[in-house]
Amino acid sequence: MAVVIKTVNLTKRYGTLVALSNLNLQISEGDCFGFIGPNGAGKTTTIKILATLLQPTWGEARVCDYVVGYQSRSIRPLIGYVPDYFGAYEDMVVQEYLEFFAAAYNINGPQRTKIVNDVLELTDLGYKRDAAVDGLSRGMKQRLSIARVLVHDPKVLLLDEPAGNLDPRARIEMRELLKELRRMGKTILISSHILPELADLCNTVGIIEQGELLYSGPVADIVRKASGGTIVHVGVTRAPEQAAALLSQNPSVDSVAAHNGFIKVCLKAGISDFSFIPAQLIGAGFAVNLLREEEVNLETAFMRLTKGIVQ
Amino acid sequence: MLGIADYFWRLLPGNPILLRVVQTAGKKRRDAIIRCGYLGLLVVMVTWILSTSGTSYGSSDLAALTKDSALIFQYMSYLQLALVALLSPVFTAGAITQERDSQTYDILLATPLTNGQIVLGSLLSRVFFVVALLVSGIPIFSITQIFGGVAIKSIFYSFLIAASTALVTGAMAMAMAIATLKVGTRRTIFSFYLFIVIYLVGFYLLDSVDFMHLHYVDAAGNPHTTQTSWLTGLHPFLALRVIFNDANYLPPNLADLPGRWQSWPYSWYWTSPATFYFSFMLIASVALVLPSILLLRRMAQSTSGFKNWVLQKIHIGGGATRKPRSVWYNPIAWREARTKASAGRASFLRYGFILLGLSGSILLLTMHATEGSPHQFISSGYDATRNMLFIDGDTRQDLAVSPYVQVKIGDRDGTTDDLNGRYEVKDFTLGPGNSISQINLRDFPRRLDSEQTRTWLLGVTILEFSVILLIITNAAASTVTREKEDGTLDLLLSTPITSRYYIWGKLRGLVSFVLPLLAVPVVSCFLFIAHDLLRWLAEGDSRFQWIVFPEALLMMPSMLIIVCAFAAILGMQMSLRCRTTVRAVMSSVGIIVGACALLGWCGNGILNSRSAIPELSVGAAVFSPFTMLTLLIDPYDFGGRAYDPLIPDADPEGARVTALVMCIVVLCVYALLVWSMYKSMVKNFDMTIRKQSR
Repeated sequence: MAVVIKTVNLTKRYGTLVALSNLNLQISEGDCFGFIGPNGAGKTTTIKILATLLQPTWGEARVCDYVVGYQSRSIRPLIGYVPDYFGAYEDMVVQEYLEFFAAAYNINGPQRTKIVNDVLELTDLGYKRDAAVDGLSRGMKQRLSIARVLVHDPKVLLLDEPAGNLDPRARIEMRELLKELRRMGKTILISSHILPELADLCNTVGIIEQGELLYSGPVADIVRKASGGTIVHVGVTRAPEQAAALLSQNPSVDSVAAHNGFIKVCLKAGISDFSFIPAQLIGAGFAVNLLREEEVNLETAFMRLTKGIVQ
Repeated sequence: MLGIADYFWRLLPGNPILLRVVQTAGKKRRDAIIRCGYLGLLVVMVTWILSTSGTSYGSSDLAALTKDSALIFQYMSYLQLALVALLSPVFTAGAITQERDSQTYDILLATPLTNGQIVLGSLLSRVFFVVALLVSGIPIFSITQIFGGVAIKSIFYSFLIAASTALVTGAMAMAMAIATLKVGTRRTIFSFYLFIVIYLVGFYLLDSVDFMHLHYVDAAGNPHTTQTSWLTGLHPFLALRVIFNDANYLPPNLADLPGRWQSWPYSWYWTSPATFYFSFMLIASVALVLPSILLLRRMAQSTSGFKNWVLQKIHIGGGATRKPRSVWYNPIAWREARTKASAGRASFLRYGFILLGLSGSILLLTMHATEGSPHQFISSGYDATRNMLFIDGDTRQDLAVSPYVQVKIGDRDGTTDDLNGRYEVKDFTLGPGNSISQINLRDFPRRLDSEQTRTWLLGVTILEFSVILLIITNAAASTVTREKEDGTLDLLLSTPITSRYYIWGKLRGLVSFVLPLLAVPVVSCFLFIAHDLLRWLAEGDSRFQWIVFPEALLMMPSMLIIVCAFAAILGMQMSLRCRTTVRAVMSSVGIIVGACALLGWCGNGILNSRSAIPELSVGAAVFSPFTMLTLLIDPYDFGGRAYDPLIPDADPEGARVTALVMCIVVLCVYALLVWSMYKSMVKNFDMTIRKQSR
C-alpha cells in the first residue's frame, strides 16, 4: 500500500508552547486512521498542518508525496478538511453552499450540478437542498460538512472531531457514512474522543499526548500492547486474602491483589490460560462465585498509555 | 422602609453589573489611552486658540481676553460634543448583546437580579465611561473662568447637552438590543453608528432649509422668520449653538411669537431650545428604558423577533427555505455580491436606499419642473381696450394701467404687450388716478428654482455617495476578519483557491454589491439631464443653463465606481491586517473619512484660490470625488473662478473640457492605486494569514 500521509519529525511551536514534537506518522492508502489524545495534545495542529493551513516550525509533512508548504497548491485538490466547527455562511441554502465550494474547486457548468446532486444523495441531504444552512441542526450541519468535502472527490479526508456534540442517532449515522467512504477507498484521518466508535471505524490509530506520538499502529496491536498480561478477576465466598496468598504461589501468576472482597490476578506475560485458578481454589476449599477476564479495549489502552496531562 | 431603601441601593449604587464595570474601568489600558487622547485634544485646542489669537496673548486688554475665553469655550464645547457623539455609539451599542455574545446573558437572566438592575446596570456602566470622560474635562473648561466672558450656566448647559446625548444614545442602543438582540454585535455597531451620523448631519442640513423655520408677522405687519428652527431643540449641536448667543442663531422672544406658539410647551421649545433638548432627551431616555425594564425577560423568552416577522411579511429574508441561486464561476465574488445583498437586513437597507434616493430625485425634479404659486401674478389678464390689468394671487384685483406705464421684466425693459404674458408681479407703483405707473415683473417662478435645485441635488448626491462609501468600506473591512472569526476562511484556504483569486473575487463582489446603490445618484443626475434636454429642445431658450452637465453621465459612474473600488481595497487591506472586525472597520472608516475630507478640503481650497489658474484648479479639484460632483452639479456656487460669470476671463466651457480630460487621468491614477494595493495584498496574503494563525 502506498503511503498517503507521512510526517517526519514534525514540530510546531506557538511561542514557547510546543504543540507538536518530532511527530513521525505514516498512513497508507485506504487506511482509516484514528487520532486519539487528550485536549491540547496536538491533534488539531497536526490536521491543520496537513490541511496546509499551518506551517510546521520544523520537520516535514507530506500528503500524497507533496510537501506541505512547498507544494501546498498540489495538496489542496487532494484533501477534504472538516474542522471541529461548522463554517456557516449566512443566507445560503444547502445546494448553494455545496455549489459554492464546488466552484472553489473549479468545478463548473452541468458537471457541478450533477456532482452536487450525487453528493446530496450520498449524504442523504437531498430533501434539504433548499433549506437555509444556518437553520440546520448540528447533525445535519456535520453531514453537510462531509458533503462539502466530497464535492471534489478527494483522496484524503482530514476530519477533526466530526462527531463532537452530536446526539446518538446523528453519531451513528455519521459513523455509517464514514464507513461508506472507507469502502469507497478514501484515506481518512479522523480525530475523536469517542473511542469505541473509533475502534469500530478505524483500522489504525495513533495516540498523541503533549505533542508526542505515544503509539501508532493497528488497533489490535495497541490493545495487545496495552494489556501487557491477562488479568482475571476472581470472587470467593470467604477469606479473599487467604485465597490471594494461595494463588500468588502459582508460577503462572505475576501478581495478586485482594480488594473489596475480590481478587485481581495478573498472569505472567504469554500466559492466557487461567483455568488453573478455579481448580486450585476449589481444591483448597474455597467456593468461587466469580471468574472474569478483564477486557482490554481501546478506551482502556488509551487510559493506560496516556498520563492525562493537558497542555 | 428598609426594604425599599435596599431595593434602590441594589438598583443603582450597589448594582453588581455597574460595580463590576466601575471598579475595572480605571484599570483598562484602552480607557486610559482614550481619556488621555481626549484631554490632549482639549489642551491642544486651548493652546492653539491662545497662541493664534495675537490680540490677547500676553495682552492686558480684558475685553479681548474675555472674547478669547468665549471662543475657547465655544470650540471646546463643540469638540466635547463631537467626541461624545462619536464615542457614545461605540461604547453603548454593545450594552446587552456583548453579554449575549460572551454567552453570559442567559446566566445573568437566571440570577435573582431584577430586570431593572440588569437594564440600568448595563446602561449606566456603558454611559459611565463617557460621563467620566466629560468630568475629566472640567479642569480644562475652568480655564475659561480665569478670563471671564463665559457664564457658569453656559458651561453647565454645555455639559448637560453632552451628557444627555450620551444617555439617550445608550438608552436607544439598549432598547433596540432588547427588542432585536442584534445591536451591538460586530455587524450592527456600524449600522447604529451610521444612523447616529445621518441623524446629526441630516438634521443639521435640514436646519438651513426655510420651511423648518417659523414664519410670522409681527404686530406692525412686518414678516419675520425665526433664526432657530423646529429642529433646534432636537439636535445637540444646534441646541449648543443657542447657548453661545450667536447673533445669527438666537431663539425668538416669547412676546414676538404668534399667539398659538406662546402656550406651553411650544413657548419653551422655541424660546429655550437648549433646556428643552436636555430635558427632552432625559425624558426620551426614561421612555426608552422603561419598556426595556418591563420586557427584558419576556423578550428573551420569545422565539421569534419582531424584525423577522416584518421581514417575512415583506418576503425578504427570515425564511427557512428558498430556491437556490446559481453560483458564479468565482464563488468569492458571488458570495460578496449576492448573498450579502440578499440577507434580510441588507435587502431592506438596499431597497430602502434605492427607493428613498430615487423618490427624492423625482420629488426634486417635480418641484423644479412645476411652477410655484407667487403672491401676485398676471396671466393674460390685460384688457388693452379698457387699459385694465387683472392681478391674480393672494389679493385678486383689477387695476387701471397708465398709458405711460413703465414695464420692467427682470433687468430688461418691457412693453404693455408683455402684460399679456405670464409673469410674477414683483411690485408696482400706483400713479395718478390710481392707475399703475410702474410695474416690475419677473419670470414665473418654479417651485424650486435652478439655484436651489442645484444646491439640493448636490447635497443629496454627496450624502448618497458618502453613505455608499461608508457601506462599502464597512463591508470590505469586515469581509476577511469576519471569515477569520467564524472560521470559514480556513475552509476556503484548504481549497485550491489562491490568494489572487480570493482577493480579486472579494473586490469584484464588493463593487458589484454597491453598483445598484451607485446607480441612484447617477440616475438622479440622468433624470435632470434628460429633463433639461427636453426643455431645451422644446423652448430653445438662449439663456438655458444645465442643472447637471451632460458629461456627468460619463464622469460620474466611472469616478464613483473607481473610488468605491479604492475604498473596498483599502477596507480589505485593513481587514486582512486587523484581528478583529471592530478594529478593522473603525480604522478603515477613519482613513476613508480622513482621506475624503482632506481631498475635498484641498479641492475646494484650490478651486477658490485666487492665485491658481482657473482651468488648472478645476483639473486638480477632480481628484476628489466630492469636488468633482460640485463641478458637475453646482459649479456656479462651488466651482470657483472658472465658472464665475462676474470674472471676465472665466471660461466655463474650457473648464468643463479640462474637468473631463482630467477625469480620465484621475481614473487612471485611482486604477493604478487600486491595482498596486491589490498586488501588494496578493503578495502578502499568505504571510499575514500565517502570522495571525500563530
